Amino acid sequence: MSVPKSKPKLQEQLAELDELLAWFDQPDIDLDQALKKFDEGVALAETIKKRLVTFENKVTILKQRFDRPA
Amino acid sequence: MELPILSVSQLIAVVNQTLEFAYPSVIVEGEVASFKVSKGKFVFFDLKDDEGVVNCFMMVYQLRHALEDGMRIKIIAQPRLTPWGRFSLTVREVMPVGEGTIKRAFELLRQKLNKEGLFDPARKRMLPHVPQRIGLIASVESAGYADFLKILDARWGDVLVEVADVQVQGMGAASQIIIAIEHFNQMAELPEVLVIVRGGGSAEDLAVFNDEALVRAIAASRVPTLVGVGHEVDTSLADMAADVRAATPSNAAQLLVPDRHAVTRELDQREQRLYQRLYHQLETVQRLLRNTPEIMLARLESAVVEHKRRIHHAQQLLKQLDPSVVLRRGYALVYLNNKLIKKANDVKTGDLLTITLARAILKAEVTHVSTKK
Repeated sequence: MSVPKSKPKLQEQLAELDELLAWFDQPDIDLDQALKKFDEGVALAETIKKRLVTFENKVTILKQRFDRPA
Repeated sequence: MELPILSVSQLIAVVNQTLEFAYPSVIVEGEVASFKVSKGKFVFFDLKDDEGVVNCFMMVYQLRHALEDGMRIKIIAQPRLTPWGRFSLTVREVMPVGEGTIKRAFELLRQKLNKEGLFDPARKRMLPHVPQRIGLIASVESAGYADFLKILDARWGDVLVEVADVQVQGMGAASQIIIAIEHFNQMAELPEVLVIVRGGGSAEDLAVFNDEALVRAIAASRVPTLVGVGHEVDTSLADMAADVRAATPSNAAQLLVPDRHAVTRELDQREQRLYQRLYHQLETVQRLLRNTPEIMLARLESAVVEHKRRIHHAQQLLKQLDPSVVLRRGYALVYLNNKLIKKANDVKTGDLLTITLARAILKAEVTHVSTKK
């Protein structure tokens, strides 16, 4: 049974986007590759934006009691 | 009924049993007098009001607020008769009462802990950039708890919040918060940050956060701490010992996570930058393409000019070599039997010569031959 791959963390996705942007800063880039990276970047940005709208915090209240008898 | 005869120690024991049954613990408010610490271990003071006074005793480690004579305090204690026949209150907890006392206790303890370096800026740790798992210490019924979660949810998602539901005011509150801090610090997988929040309240309510043991527990936490207690104007020693101080519970949430709307705007900017960079690339290529024919044409043109120049030069050269050009200047070509005559030996008297001029051909006979000197 294969272990389902966990969703990449939002921070990781943001870092990936930064890397894509940085890629464009190198001299002599290939246009075909640039178009590919551009598409990737836009798709990634849109994914993150969608995630930012929908993601939710999870709150769990610990069962422990903290009122230790003095 | 005849009364039993008791020994002195039996009497004391009986009285203490009765007291324990009737008053397992009492909360008493009064003014401190004759405060003293003995052997660094035992605390003695009197608690008094206008009409009465009672002796109090406690252990130093249980005293978590600075005390001095004249302070108004509230204590939780158990009344008992000492083996020396004195009535005394064995104190478990002390809380300062009234603004003046709270301020004074705060200041005394602040000075003491400051001297120990508990509030030293060098001790402060950074909070994680965007935490994904936090330990929250609060009362789930408090406004501060609701405020914190409301702002957290509005700003960000993806955070697992584990809540230790504790009392945040009154006697015993400080101890509960300490146990919660210890609980989080003992987890197999530590939360990334510990957040302690409590909404606004009276100076007395907030005095919980000036409890010495609590302040020390916050300073000692392995997990970085963020404390947001009361309103902006309130300062507690717990705030000062925390790695990061938030003005309010809402502010704690603001300090903890970024605003998703701001991040979305930031993403728009990044997308914009992607467009710009791609556009820049396309422009570079386009410029190159646009200029290529021009460059080629220019090269071609200069090649043609060069060739033309060479051809012209060659034509000039050829013209000069053309014999008819020479004849036009008055020279003549002399042939004997279609053979060009170049020297005297080529002919003799009587030969019939053909003489070619620029525009005429003459027939002539040699009458004399001599060599030029």
